[in-house]
Amino acid sequence: MDAAAIRDHLVAELADAVEPDISFGLLTATVAPAHYRRVAELVRHDRELACNFFDFLCGVDEEALGIGVVLHVYSTSHHHHVQVRSVVPREGGRLPTVHDLWAGADWHERETAELFGVTFDGHPNLAKLLLPEEFEGFPLRKEFALLAREAKPWPGAKEPGE
Amino acid sequence: MGLVDSVELPQPIKFIFNWGRKYSLWVFNFGLACCAIEFIATSMARHDFIRLGVIPFAHGPRQADLLVVSGTLTDKMAPAVKRLYDEMPEPKYVISFGSCSNCGGPYWDSYSVTKGVDQIIPVDVYVPGCPPRPEALLHGIITLQERIGSESLKQRYAQDAPEPERQPIVVGA
Repeated sequence: MDAAAIRDHLVAELADAVEPDISFGLLTATVAPAHYRRVAELVRHDRELACNFFDFLCGVDEEALGIGVVLHVYSTSHHHHVQVRSVVPREGGRLPTVHDLWAGADWHERETAELFGVTFDGHPNLAKLLLPEEFEGFPLRKEFALLAREAKPWPGAKEPGE
Repeated sequence: MGLVDSVELPQPIKFIFNWGRKYSLWVFNFGLACCAIEFIATSMARHDFIRLGVIPFAHGPRQADLLVVSGTLTDKMAPAVKRLYDEMPEPKYVISFGSCSNCGGPYWDSYSVTKGVDQIIPVDVYVPGCPPRPEALLHGIITLQERIGSESLKQRYAQDAPEPERQPIVVGA
């Protein structure tokens, strides 16, 4: 299916639980955290969607909005991509795990948990994956201060993204 | 421990001992990033550090005399480097190869990169570059061999080792 057909299918199945957006030919379905698991199950098991291949799951610091979690999956039978996005609060953000739907999500959820501070309920082992055990803070959040930058400001002309 | 570290050996024997040690450096490559590729290039036919008596592919740290840390060391990996260094038998030497292991390099402001392997283990020779060319590593090895050639093991193991003897060398500086 192309992105518009997936959008129509999702809206038919889930009504106003999803907020679809198409950019560069890729559908991103923004859902409330309460619907995240239901949408993920539909995307995985629905015969029309059948997204059986896990691409990635990551966090995005959306500043005032909260922390976005983006799940990107692909269907090897229909050859289409779907992104599911959910925004959780900065403090105490929680989402249900999808590691039982796509085994590959296991480590991505651990990574998102340690780097952005999002808890994935139902995950069997949410221990730190990349960071040392004693690490404090969530380093990929915008407010995380880099110690080296405190001692010596960025010598380039502009900050990345400025 | 033994004779070499309790008695200052007479010069001819010291020369022969040092000569033997400096031309049979079994090297243990702690390859962590792209610098490891340059290290491998140095060990292969074109640059061929075996002609300097550096023997690559020590079976493990317990068979190695020289540790080359080549690449980006993270805080998570740092305990492993420390442990492997501790497993190496004395006398042992360390070459820090490339900007990342010298000081953090392009990751100078990272939250996860150790800013220099010298924060956890003593370094004998620093080879700067990002990554350094194989010639730079050859220069570093020759520099280290010069130091080994003039070394006194008694002084090396003494608690109050004279400072200039253990000062690290920066290649090309």
